Amino acid sequence: MKKFNYQELVDSEQALQKRSIFWDPAIYEEELKQIFNRCWLFLGHESQLPQPGDFIRTYMGEDDVIVVRGKDKVIRAFLNACTHRGNKVCQAEGGNTRSFTCSYHGWSFNTEGELAGVPLEKEIYDNLPRERFGLVPVARLDSYKGLLFGCFSESAPSLIDYLGDIAWYIDVVTDSAQGGLEVVGAPYKTEIPGNWKLPVENAIGDGYHVAWAHAGAMSVVGAIGNGRSDNVLGINANNTGVDQSGAIEIVMNTHTVLTTLDGQSGYALYDHPEPVLAHLERNRPNVIEKLGELRGRQLYGSETHIGVFPNVQIIQGLNFIRIIHPKGPGKFEVWTYAMCERGMPDATKEIIHDHVRQTFGPAGLLEGDDGDFVEAITHSAAGYATRQMQGFLGMGMGRKAPWDGPGEASPGLVNEACQRGFYNQWRRTMEADNAYGVIGQTAPVTPVTAVLKEFRHG
Amino acid sequence: MANAELKLAPTAPVSFEQEYAIGKFLSMEARLLDEERYPDWLELLTEDIRYQIPVAISTYRRARQGSTTLKPLFIIDDGFPGLKQRADREATGLVWLNDPATRHLRIITNIEVETTDTPNEFLVRSKFMIFRGRRDKDIASHAGWREDILRQTPQGWRIARRVVHLIERVVMDKNLNMFF
Ligand code: FES
Ligand SMILES: [Fe+2]
Repeated sequence: MKKFNYQELVDSEQALQKRSIFWDPAIYEEELKQIFNRCWLFLGHESQLPQPGDFIRTYMGEDDVIVVRGKDKVIRAFLNACTHRGNKVCQAEGGNTRSFTCSYHGWSFNTEGELAGVPLEKEIYDNLPRERFGLVPVARLDSYKGLLFGCFSESAPSLIDYLGDIAWYIDVVTDSAQGGLEVVGAPYKTEIPGNWKLPVENAIGDGYHVAWAHAGAMSVVGAIGNGRSDNVLGINANNTGVDQSGAIEIVMNTHTVLTTLDGQSGYALYDHPEPVLAHLERNRPNVIEKLGELRGRQLYGSETHIGVFPNVQIIQGLNFIRIIHPKGPGKFEVWTYAMCERGMPDATKEIIHDHVRQTFGPAGLLEGDDGDFVEAITHSAAGYATRQMQGFLGMGMGRKAPWDGPGEASPGLVNEACQRGFYNQWRRTMEADNAYGVIGQTAPVTPVTAVLKEFRHG
Repeated sequence: MANAELKLAPTAPVSFEQEYAIGKFLSMEARLLDEERYPDWLELLTEDIRYQIPVAISTYRRARQGSTTLKPLFIIDDGFPGLKQRADREATGLVWLNDPATRHLRIITNIEVETTDTPNEFLVRSKFMIFRGRRDKDIASHAGWREDILRQTPQGWRIARRVVHLIERVVMDKNLNMFF
């Protein structure tokens, strides 16, 4: 017996989503269990943790998690909860430390998660079994080319199996980067009163809203604002015409990608893209050599939104990684990290950072618009009658575009293919009996022995 | 916290007239912004203005600058063109969330004035609270302090530099599309 009537919640054939999925606390509880407790979740990037003792704090679902590089250089992740009584053992968002000391009674844990110090231990305990009281590790931790992911499910498929075809697209970001990918150590963080799914599918697939919802911003930034072009991403300045050729939305087994395929329009929203474009062309021959013509010419430099289910988007062009942390059914935090190629000239990196701040930081010219309708969609679902309504994502349904890369392509960015893909994956994950079902596979007959996987750097 | 640069008294005296004029200027500036008179506000900025809002990154006190990968991060780091771009966006009439109009209210207080090495420039510290109300009950507020360099010019007082320090780390608002 399924907990909910999922056919009613997400009707894939008709592309309808019942609006209670943005409001119902029972559905949200089930999401924490079925999605956030079983999927691989993005934790951060290795470039944030170069030295032993470097740590960052993040969330997996609503679980507070510490990611730390130990003295032995191994990166591990732990629940940020003291094994004595549950207080947080770390209240800083990141830094470098030798230990995490709980502020309640002073238990302290080393960077490998072991209980290393208990005040008054000799006097108050008889043989405290310290080894039983280490920080609770996140069951699985793995890196895909520097991108760190964690997973609470010991029986989930491996990270590489979970990523599946999307890895081919992630490579365009990781392998193309001269000297490797680099993210700034601290993200922007904003709390927004809306359901977490709305900003996710907005970022991975909603090309339709760009010219209208962001009309004010679009008329002052980038190609249109600076008079370089009368259209951005195929949509003209007055939102009266759209060129759907030369861009596609791609739906894979689990994840989605949207891309402009022209190798340069990722920088269409920059006021001064010239140095970045020059870097792209200098680097392009290397990328073609590494990744081939298709990815080197058509994907590298394109506006490409890589949506890794459930809640991380790697956005080339705008050049940020964005995580949506759920905070109850009606609230989320959006974390935005600028990313660039380590080998870029400093001035070029600065242009990218400036651009991320100007467009999608907390005071970003475009960022400011989205929170508003995300909130309204969520909160209007408080109304019983309104909650019975369904959202409609039928745009571009059945339209196919030729594409030689993995996944099924549909033409244009003004298309709701990726958003449909997201809700279909949401439904499959919610319904799946086990963590293999999340990626549409059946679990191996002999369950994989739970191994605590540690990722060794280098 | 120990601050080597903390001075208990201004290096040179600031006249009552100047302090009074600066206080009036900051009140007037806040009112222009409350009234959404952005082109008028831009007139109060110098061409070489630098306007910054750093993120209040939450690290342990013992963490030294540069000891981690947590680099300073800015919510806004604009010169005049960037600020004008923000003002221009508001003026397009295409920012849907400001229609019906957003109501702003700024309170500027605890103004302290110090002289600087440049005779016509003053270091002005102030505290602020900014409330914005929108539609029915969409109300948010932000508090913090500012460090300004105000320049006395033949045309009047002008803002040559502003650093806005917010007390919040996670921005508790849908956006910070407002001037502080
Ligand atoms: S709760 Fe952490 S030491 Fe007691
Ligand atoms: Fe948007």
